[in-house]
Amino acid sequence: MPLQHEHDFLVTGSHDEMNRQHYVSRLRMHILNQIGGGVRDVYENRVKPAFEKDKGRIPKNETEIHKAMMADHYGRTWSTMMVNCQDMVWDSVRPAIERAQPDLNDRVRGVNARYGSVTLNPDIAMPRYLEAADIHRMPGNYHTERAVDDATQGALYDRGRFVYNGGAAGPFADGIPRTMAAYIKARWPEFKPKRILELGCTIGTSTVPFVDAFPDAEVHAIDVSAPSLRYGHARAEALAKPIHFHQMNAEDLDFEDGSFDLIYSCIIFHETSRKAYPKILEECQRVLTSGGMMAHTELTPVANMSDFDAFYIDWDAYYNNEPFYKTYTSLDPQEWVTGAGFEQDKFFQVSIPDLDRSSSDAFADSVSNPTVADSKAARVGESARWYTYGAWK
Amino acid sequence: MSDEIKITPVNRGKRPAFFDDPAIDQLMAIVMAMSAEMSVLYDRVDTIERLLDKKGTLSRDDIEAFRPDQGVEDERNGRRNDYISRLFRIIREERETLVAHDKMDEYNALMDELAKS
Repeated sequence: MPLQHEHDFLVTGSHDEMNRQHYVSRLRMHILNQIGGGVRDVYENRVKPAFEKDKGRIPKNETEIHKAMMADHYGRTWSTMMVNCQDMVWDSVRPAIERAQPDLNDRVRGVNARYGSVTLNPDIAMPRYLEAADIHRMPGNYHTERAVDDATQGALYDRGRFVYNGGAAGPFADGIPRTMAAYIKARWPEFKPKRILELGCTIGTSTVPFVDAFPDAEVHAIDVSAPSLRYGHARAEALAKPIHFHQMNAEDLDFEDGSFDLIYSCIIFHETSRKAYPKILEECQRVLTSGGMMAHTELTPVANMSDFDAFYIDWDAYYNNEPFYKTYTSLDPQEWVTGAGFEQDKFFQVSIPDLDRSSSDAFADSVSNPTVADSKAARVGESARWYTYGAWK
Repeated sequence: MSDEIKITPVNRGKRPAFFDDPAIDQLMAIVMAMSAEMSVLYDRVDTIERLLDKKGTLSRDDIEAFRPDQGVEDERNGRRNDYISRLFRIIREERETLVAHDKMDEYNALMDELAKS
């Protein structure tokens, strides 16, 4: 596990707090890989045979598997450990951030914008899907304002997500977008976007790789959450990355028609809603230039999965405060992309090997021979491949 | 500015309990928290040992200021992984013993193999 890059605004903690955070990362990986890996064995060797003996048939769908697994003590132990470890992640980073305040907010407020900008809109309405639940059980979600000009949630997310991931996305927590930016360059070398937009950027960790990959482009990033944007702007300035942050809702962008050549989003749709999803795609269609491209990294649709894998993946919808997760993974992205006005033959989808966790051959192969084949069902952070889809306008 | 900020949940909802007796869920949470505290303590001892190795003496400030480099962190992660493996052995073992195997067949196969070699 790499150590996190400590930019000027990152709050880590004391000697013991950092070691506690690093332990929680290891514990979470153990629960995911060792204990979570046993869930299938328990299903195949104990739960399924018992169900068959009792009912004279195997479970017919994901719901039946879910009920049977949650009645088994292994399913329960795994589940309670998953939920508890999630809370331990946030608890491990919380005290240091509380101590860092209100000084942190003062420092964020005092940032001298040398590279980019941040434009907030205090009148913006928070979407219901963000207010309805503390997503990932993160206390206060992305948007809660605990003080004037608050950046607390940004700091909480920056360190908490790194602990959650166990550093799997690298020192800058940018494995997915770095992979995506490299992929776009490798597969479409003639594509030279002049203006780039990221949707749902939170603190801009997924925006930075596009600044690096396309140094001649003007890069913008939007989110509805002000605390995330304030912190993200401070972070980008500390890293000397020119990014223009805006507080906007992706369902209703304030940008002109045809104003971006490339729109990217990194695993945001499943945290929105069924109503918001098509609206966001329609906004992409509207603000893209002719010949522009949108690309969205997201969860793999369950249509490509077995009932057991669907149960395993959808666990998060029930127990990790991700209300739209289950519905989202049941949708066919191609149908919704074309429904938003993109042409059928302009759609693409591909499963891309993570740059840091795959061989360069595997990456090159996904460029020359794009496929969505992904044999292993995995939740975010477990997989070494990233399902991405999009379309050209 | 003197406003203290407390990071509290806003809409986390009811905590899911998975066992028939929620005390089992609570007990597991306590065990996991305790496992973290033991690991933190071990890391502190490790820091003290490293500082003593290097300097022969130390102050509390030295300990607080100590930050592992990537090599030390990798060592600690190896130790943490082994520790977690030992601590939650009972759960891992259940997975390993799910697939039934016949001890007698195994024994006979081994005897056959040994007889040939």
